[in-house]
Amino acid sequence: MMGSKVYKSLFGQQLLEPSASKEEFRSLNDYFEYVTSNKFIDDLPNAYWSSILPEFKKTYEHNLLELKEDGLPTKRSEQFNFANIHKLYGIDILDYRDNTGWMEIERFSALANKKRSIVLNDSRIFTSEDFNKRSPFNVQILDSINTNKNRQSEYVKLLQQQDNFSKLSYALSPFPNVIIFPNGSKDTFNKNPVTVSYRNSSEEPVLECNTTIFDVQYNAKVHLNEDIKTSAGQMNYSMYILRENSELVIERTTNDYGGWNIFDSVFICHPGSKLTIKFTNTGSQYTQENFYIDSSYKTSVNIVGRNQIYKGNEYHQYVYQKSNDPDNYSSIDIKNVGKEYSSTSFIGRYDVGPLSTDFDGTMNNQNLMLDKNVTMHTRPVLDIHTKEIKCQHGCTVSNINEDHMYYLQTKGIDKVTASEMLIESFLC
Amino acid sequence: MLKLKNYTVDEIFSDVTLTFEAGKTYVIMGSNGVGKSTLIHSLMGKPGLPEVSGSAVFLGSDINTLETDQRARLGMFVGFQAPTSIPGLSNFQFIKQATGIKVTEIKDNLTKFKDIAGTLGLPNDWDKRNLNTDASGGEKKKNELIQMLMMDTKLAMLDEPDSGLDVDGIKALTSELKAWRTEHNTLIVVTHYDKLITGLEPDAVIVLQKDGALVGDQSLADKIFNDGFEGV
Repeated sequence: MMGSKVYKSLFGQQLLEPSASKEEFRSLNDYFEYVTSNKFIDDLPNAYWSSILPEFKKTYEHNLLELKEDGLPTKRSEQFNFANIHKLYGIDILDYRDNTGWMEIERFSALANKKRSIVLNDSRIFTSEDFNKRSPFNVQILDSINTNKNRQSEYVKLLQQQDNFSKLSYALSPFPNVIIFPNGSKDTFNKNPVTVSYRNSSEEPVLECNTTIFDVQYNAKVHLNEDIKTSAGQMNYSMYILRENSELVIERTTNDYGGWNIFDSVFICHPGSKLTIKFTNTGSQYTQENFYIDSSYKTSVNIVGRNQIYKGNEYHQYVYQKSNDPDNYSSIDIKNVGKEYSSTSFIGRYDVGPLSTDFDGTMNNQNLMLDKNVTMHTRPVLDIHTKEIKCQHGCTVSNINEDHMYYLQTKGIDKVTASEMLIESFLC
Repeated sequence: MLKLKNYTVDEIFSDVTLTFEAGKTYVIMGSNGVGKSTLIHSLMGKPGLPEVSGSAVFLGSDINTLETDQRARLGMFVGFQAPTSIPGLSNFQFIKQATGIKVTEIKDNLTKFKDIAGTLGLPNDWDKRNLNTDASGGEKKKNELIQMLMMDTKLAMLDEPDSGLDVDGIKALTSELKAWRTEHNTLIVVTHYDKLITGLEPDAVIVLQKDGALVGDQSLADKIFNDGFEGV
């Protein structure tokens, strides 16, 4: 468990302690160790956030610029991958992109005159007006900045530090925004889905992070439409808590808007809960989309991914499901289509514990390469520690079938249309 | 309709000179491996075949330089011996793309599709089924026939359309093909099935050989059935 050790962030002036020599910091990893060490845990007063707020953005950006000046590697050849977190620090998080301020407009257009809408950006949360009203069974928001810290801390304790990027997201965005769907809401937010938009807010070339907890309480049914558009760098760490007998459906769309994106999703599935994830992704200069699922008893998990990776983009995914108790069901079905010079990887892992009898899991990852210069990797990992289970996997990488192409052409369909039809049928 | 002169597919067969006229039915026979399927698919421009030489003129166009889909749009149709299965693409969706049916024409064409499918004894939901997926060999062959009838086919080249069909299927196939063949189109069928040959009443029987082709009438087929290919 993360506990309160990682409680302070890079946001404070304390980061650049006068006595600390800049030469000591050569990578973001160094900074991470520095700001999460015990030395800085107890320094900050409770009113830290409110006092720092006016200078919040300025300080944040300033510190990140300092990161670069102090030796953050920037070579593209040092691109990171999720197998080795240390490579993460190689990306140029300050890659400047000229933009015209549309993001601000985009952010507010997602809320204006709309209902059941939430925008997350740069650790902050904005909601449509109906979510600001206190009423029985309405969504409750625990804001990362203004909320009651005692209640917030209960959630902070839940955040688990995975061996993944989330610890970096967390370092940059330590207070989560918490969105609670109360049990009394029943299926209100299933019949009326909630839109969650992830946006970059700044025109400055900064890395932005969100740490968010979605708490779907007992017996509640929730449908989230997640829309992710990142024009700069963005790291998201979202935890979804599915309490007993709750249901959560996520439809997530991630589009390439010029930035890069790392999204860690952690799902805590309590007994009897049902999780469905349907997602599409176009990749970006670097996209990492990870799902970590912790299943207890009689849970059901359905994941369907249909990704068309644009020319030259990267898309990498790690899906990890840990099954602890009996009678869990899981279906993972992810298909990727790689266009010219794109690169994808998939690692899927079932970790079935000794007590998880009658686990029923199917893991499929199919990849279609549209060009010889596409790179695609797939790796299923079945880590089974009990005997009485049903578990199967199928992971493939293939090209467009020449016989299929010829067959369509013999019926008068031109090459381009035939190719599109075959892609569509593959993703079906 | 189609004229071949010294038509050669390297290492398969050579110097085939034939004329296929409108309003006629042709049966192609030949020993195993002589290149009957290769002839049909080379005429459709299948990639990956050995080099093709000689001339092939369809309705005045030199087809050797055309892409497969261009040949098909001229009116050439090939019915596959083993049609390809494509999951995720429905039979009618495929027909819509292949024939370029407009939105206003969908209803009429769907009715036509279902009528043909019904005549051939295919299930009611055949239009919604995935293309040749979870279908028997006979159903796939019937599907080829539906495509041929739905498209603006001028020259149909069917590669063993009888294989996989049951007795009723053969009857329906023969009947549909005879009804389709008018004075404006041409039918070429590769087959060794005597009842189909008899039923189609071909205008010519062609025996493909390594170094050319023999042309005769139905008695040529009878001779082959009696004496084998060595006898001709």
